[in-house]
Amino acid sequence: MMKKIKQVLALTVVTAVVLGAFISDSVTAFAMDGESTDQPIVLRVCNWEEYIDEGDWEDDEVIDLDSGDIFGENSLVEDFEDWYLETYGRKVEVEYSCFGTNEELYNMLTIGDEYDLVCPSDYMIMKLMSEDWLEPFSQNFFDEEDENNYYVKGVSPYIRDVFDENEINGESWSKYAAGYMWGVTGIIYNPDEVSREDASTWHIFDNEDVYRRITIKDNVRDSMFAAVGAVKSDKLTDPSFIADPDYRSLLMDEMNDVSEETVLAVQDYLQKAKNNLYSFETDSGKADMITGKVVANYQWSGDAVYAMDQAEEDDFYLEFAVPEESTNLWFDGWVMLKEGIGNDPAKKQAAEAFVNFLSMPENAVRNMYYIGYTSVISGGDDGRVYEYLEWNYAAEDDEEDVVDYPVGYFFSGDPEDEDYILMVPEEQTRRQLYAQYPTSDVIDRSAVMWYFDPDANARINRMWINVRCFNAKNIPVPVFVVVGALLAGILFIMIRTRLKNRDTGRQ
Amino acid sequence: MKKIFARKYLGIPYAVFLLLFVVAPLIVLFYYAFTNSTGHFSAANLIGFFTDSNTIGTLFYSLMLALAVTVVCLVIAYPIAYVLAKSGFKAKAVVVMLFVMPMWINFTLRLTALKEILTAIEGNLAFHPFINSVIGMTYDFLPFMILPLYNAISKLDGNLLEAAKDLGAGDVQAFLKVTLPLSMPGIVSGVSMVFLPAMTNYVVLDMLYNSTYIMGSLIGSYFSAYDWHGGSMIALILLLIICVFTLISGSAEEDEGQKGVLL
Repeated sequence: MMKKIKQVLALTVVTAVVLGAFISDSVTAFAMDGESTDQPIVLRVCNWEEYIDEGDWEDDEVIDLDSGDIFGENSLVEDFEDWYLETYGRKVEVEYSCFGTNEELYNMLTIGDEYDLVCPSDYMIMKLMSEDWLEPFSQNFFDEEDENNYYVKGVSPYIRDVFDENEINGESWSKYAAGYMWGVTGIIYNPDEVSREDASTWHIFDNEDVYRRITIKDNVRDSMFAAVGAVKSDKLTDPSFIADPDYRSLLMDEMNDVSEETVLAVQDYLQKAKNNLYSFETDSGKADMITGKVVANYQWSGDAVYAMDQAEEDDFYLEFAVPEESTNLWFDGWVMLKEGIGNDPAKKQAAEAFVNFLSMPENAVRNMYYIGYTSVISGGDDGRVYEYLEWNYAAEDDEEDVVDYPVGYFFSGDPEDEDYILMVPEEQTRRQLYAQYPTSDVIDRSAVMWYFDPDANARINRMWINVRCFNAKNIPVPVFVVVGALLAGILFIMIRTRLKNRDTGRQ
Repeated sequence: MKKIFARKYLGIPYAVFLLLFVVAPLIVLFYYAFTNSTGHFSAANLIGFFTDSNTIGTLFYSLMLALAVTVVCLVIAYPIAYVLAKSGFKAKAVVVMLFVMPMWINFTLRLTALKEILTAIEGNLAFHPFINSVIGMTYDFLPFMILPLYNAISKLDGNLLEAAKDLGAGDVQAFLKVTLPLSMPGIVSGVSMVFLPAMTNYVVLDMLYNSTYIMGSLIGSYFSAYDWHGGSMIALILLLIICVFTLISGSAEEDEGQKGVLL
């Protein structure tokens, strides 16, 4: 008895020592969370993979604008920590991690991972907003007088309007979300194999000229959007529909139509198109486009830029088209999470400072150069973002075939603004520039895709599974019988072997 | 001096590990599989699985794929294992090593290479998705089939074959009556090592552009649509299938050991 008690005691002591070490650790950590300003603020940031400048550029990659060089030596996260200490006199430590899809991020949050600042896409922001996850930005964040508020000073007027106008439960996005990158969706294609006209409609997926040489996105929302565009193609391209004074809001309604009838039509379309496709892809489409395995590829504008850049290195020129029906205007934006920020004003201030730091024009340019996507920052009074555009795309003096390319809608809010007309080689109206800063007619036919209610979501997810699964109704009865017989045979042999072995074992 | 720690206490970490990483997740899986989104008990997921022609179709497709992979693996592996085990080849170990070595290379890497090779041969991968998946999985799982077969055949006592021939059996008959039945344990363990992973390994399908879901990808699609209940139920059903399979084949493997002693 004594022995048992001693054993138990010994175990308890060991456990207590180990646990104690843990507890005292967290207690000290907790105590230090208090007012002491010597301790760094810990900011937990979760962003998309490969979605921020990680520095370490080659020397010849320097962006030599007239107003000065821009160069990524260290990662933006490190630069932020230095800048914060310099500007606010307090240390901040960024714990930076990544997610792969919006759904993954949401699942991470629901199982209790805590972050302070995350960067989901538009519809996930809407979902998080409607489920009350988010901490609104402070009054000070919107104060244009504060010289460190680079976001409000620099955000494009066009993007600002979109964030102000779109609402969830009567609250505009801008209260909770600050834009990061934005773009449209379209088709990247090989002009030798596909005509621009064919690539300019969502009906390309059932176009037999590209039989098994086109890819679509392997996620239900992007594929749904494309399929809705194809199914409603006639209506969406009808001149009288486009001329309607309420065109913008009618278009939004059409593209976000998740009625049973439309979802069924979409399912039919995708099932038909599936047979015409090379594959459903998430990431491999770019590489397959560059290596010529496919001739057309459904792509987000930023990845399209990346693919075109890569292909050009091999003197292979790809182009980008935005379907005439409509295009999905998308955003990724920074939002603060209630559970992470808690009641810690210092942390909230640091999170807002992080957004502002990324919105500094030079940092926006570094990000754009590094990841290929388009920043929501136009720079406000600071002309460097526009300068970067000229540096990147403006035609050389001796070039022929030079055309005007107005981007005023983005930089000043006026599509006709003469201060923002680029002079570019003609092919750029079909290539990187067109993908990175689409023309204003593309913007006119763009639609934001909503976050759908649970019923509609269940409906479209069901639709998606139906499209991707092998339907048992397609199996001829004889095949069923043969496979069933084979399986039964295997099971029989295995059981027999087992029994036999038992017998020999007993001998 | 009394002993404070008995040897059995060394088992405590394993027990804790099993509780945390095997028993607890299983309980969670069961809970989700038999509840609905409001947290009440529901068998709707179970009924839904067996009444939906799409999920049944997926199960069927996975079985068919796994079956094809297993048969192809067996047909390729048996002769190789036989020749290896029977030949008096001195460098036998080297040849066995050659078959095992590909396993040291990361399998996504091997598949990426395979993808290029298949593209070169077929021109366009999208024309033969099913065959490509079978090739990819066979490439992946072949060593798992060869090794148990090799073990079983090399343990085989040559005297038995001689005895069979003394008693008048031809080569074919001796093979069918002696070699094949005695290598059965090897076949069974090889089959179970190939068949089960082939039902769920959707990475191969993804990488070789087969757009049809198999069981693994179906479960994944439920989870990314936040339907943890439906996904758990499918995972559970798959678990049951695997359980039945392992129960049968597992004891065959067990006996394999005894047999070796007997012989």
